Amino acid sequence: MANGYAGRYLRVDLTEGRCGDFRVDEPLQRAFIGGSSLGAKLFLDGYPLSADPLAPECPLMVMTGPLVGSGFPGTSRFAVCAKSPLTGIWGESACGGTFGPELKRAGFDGIIVTGRAAAPVMLSLREGEACLRDATALWGMDIYAATDQIKQDDPGVKVLAIGPAGENGVRFAAIGNDKGHFVGRTGLGAVMGAKRLKAIAVRGTKKLGKADEGRYREAHAAALREIKDSALAGSLHAMGSDAGMDIGMINGDVPVRNWTVGEDFDLSAALSGPTLSETYLTRAHACSHCPVACKRIVRVDDGPFRTEEGPGPEYETCGTFGTMIMNRDLAGVIKANELCNRYGMDTISCGSAIAWAMELTEKGVLTPEMTDGIELRWGDMEAVLRLLPRIARREGFGGLLAQGSLAAARTIGPQAEDAVVHVKGLDLPMHDPRGFHGMGLAYMMSNRGACHLQHAVLATEQGMASWPQLFPMKDDYRGTTSEGKAELVYHAENYGILGNSLAICHYLVDCLQPETIRDAFNAVTGFDYSFADLMRCGARDWMLKRGINNLLGVTAKDDCLPKRIMTPLAEGAAAGSVPDVERLKNEYYALRGLDERGIPRKEKLRELGLDELGERLFASGR
Amino acid sequence: MANYQAMTQEWLEAWKQKIAGSKEYQEIAKNWEGSVSIIVNPDPERGIPEAIYLFTDYWHGEVRDFLICDKAKAETAKFVMSGDYVRWKQVAKKEVDSTKALMQGKLKLKGDLTYVVRNIKTVNKVIDLLCEIDTVWPDGP
Repeated sequence: MANGYAGRYLRVDLTEGRCGDFRVDEPLQRAFIGGSSLGAKLFLDGYPLSADPLAPECPLMVMTGPLVGSGFPGTSRFAVCAKSPLTGIWGESACGGTFGPELKRAGFDGIIVTGRAAAPVMLSLREGEACLRDATALWGMDIYAATDQIKQDDPGVKVLAIGPAGENGVRFAAIGNDKGHFVGRTGLGAVMGAKRLKAIAVRGTKKLGKADEGRYREAHAAALREIKDSALAGSLHAMGSDAGMDIGMINGDVPVRNWTVGEDFDLSAALSGPTLSETYLTRAHACSHCPVACKRIVRVDDGPFRTEEGPGPEYETCGTFGTMIMNRDLAGVIKANELCNRYGMDTISCGSAIAWAMELTEKGVLTPEMTDGIELRWGDMEAVLRLLPRIARREGFGGLLAQGSLAAARTIGPQAEDAVVHVKGLDLPMHDPRGFHGMGLAYMMSNRGACHLQHAVLATEQGMASWPQLFPMKDDYRGTTSEGKAELVYHAENYGILGNSLAICHYLVDCLQPETIRDAFNAVTGFDYSFADLMRCGARDWMLKRGINNLLGVTAKDDCLPKRIMTPLAEGAAAGSVPDVERLKNEYYALRGLDERGIPRKEKLRELGLDELGERLFASGR
Repeated sequence: MANYQAMTQEWLEAWKQKIAGSKEYQEIAKNWEGSVSIIVNPDPERGIPEAIYLFTDYWHGEVRDFLICDKAKAETAKFVMSGDYVRWKQVAKKEVDSTKALMQGKLKLKGDLTYVVRNIKTVNKVIDLLCEIDTVWPDGP
């Protein structure tokens, strides 16, 4: 076992009520590092791919990386992985907060849960010991209430919990860490709920070893200097992730009215980071050991959207519950965010499904009779707040939306399907590929469906970061061109993926020099990796997950953008522009080593040390 | 059209007139209050033997002082932006967006970042107007 790793992974069989552990050999750590990369390798090697995502035999994995628990800025993170109940392909979602470092200090690099408990349980980990406890009394509680109760019963623990949406199998259910940090995407809360696992509580104090303490201290000091000097870090601290709303609207990045309108500056001004800071912000908040402190703590004192002080909305939520549904009231966004947090629902997929329903209501495809008497008019937040609990409980029309927007649309018809904006079943995050063609390709090729966090394309294409020492890149990319973007996406994926295997926050990846991250990684693990080694790990991760998805049925026809995105906007910075999908795809396939069917070529798999994946891919008749 | 030597009082005056003549600027910048200094770091090889300090002042859509100044005056501005000559030249030639240069650490800003983000359209317009000036650069085009 290498330095930087706790040395044990916990295996929990909920059907049998058993906990055990296993180790991962150093060659596997060297090849896949950790996080969702190692999770994908363990998933491929040990579990049935064809099983239903909510079946007992499908694993739910909670994975950390070697830097987690080291105290290096941005390394509080962990990834949850499973076959996604929303998309049916590889699912993963990373999260900051407190849980990852505490899990490492408790003596575990990760947890793999299979089976289904006969009655609700919670998993309790303390100083290397694991046990299952009855959680019947917690079942039905929202995430805030359950977390408070667990912490009251066992002070000092860090908590992962699901809410009613996860319990009820909402296909975009989230998992909350200490009420303020969420495993949002791909519906992994529903996997946890299907196992009747309400929560995981962890406490640990073990000190983690580093290969070279002196070199680590140097890298840590460099990171602090770079954060202090970084305008991006300053911007995130001052305004949170919503700092980008105003600039994004100017640049054609922000979707408006379910992706049909190109710009609305009054809307972005009402919902932007500066406005949040001037109105409802009570303080900034940080994940464990992060000096950036981009998280917002907010409170709405009065009116219909009154909330207690609590976690505020991210940029994505200001998009889905703001610009996407034409809601100009930031207090309404804060209230919707609080409800999604409590119920445990991904604000991107949930808000996108509501935007879709509002469009269909306007077009007369949906009527109030079909939506339980709730008239879903653009901007009507009171209607949204009536709908959210119905989604979490899967009641009536809420039950239809709880399947996810694509599945819901397929039950209604072609006009409904045209208004769903997704790739491989995952609703697009709030960055418009018509304004940034590279992001379009990144959505097409991301291994969990449309995603802005499986790569560093957002930062590089929009000019927040520039790393010419890593790969050839321009100082300034024009968003509305497809030229040169396949190469950018290919490299920015290979580097950005490391955020998910090292389990380091993407914002910190963007703020820090690659040398500093590399040096910290080497100081902790002793691997002495070069940039080329690290980028190769990124390429291996991408190909491994692609292979899993190929085995799950993904082919070239799935690597596409939805009809709505291929329809040009009439106004704004992206007016008249759509990505050149065929060009992007052809250039990208060549760089990645995929054949025309979207299957990895044998020689590319061999080059990346993925021969076993090749055997499975080609044994299945391809 | 006249050409102006970069970072001279005449060049600053031409920039000021461009801004003052822009109705679009007056509308966009109606909420902007305060001065912005530009510090160009020395680059002897490119004809900048010592740092250059520029002071520009804006008030609710109007333009006030545009001056070559000393370091002490520059540091009194509400916002102070500094960077290497080559970066400023890239910005003024529209080869690099100023916000991207700031985020990538190629330009530095002292001042309230939230205010800048809130008024990013004003910042962009001022830079766009700078790019319209026919500028003669000390190290050539």
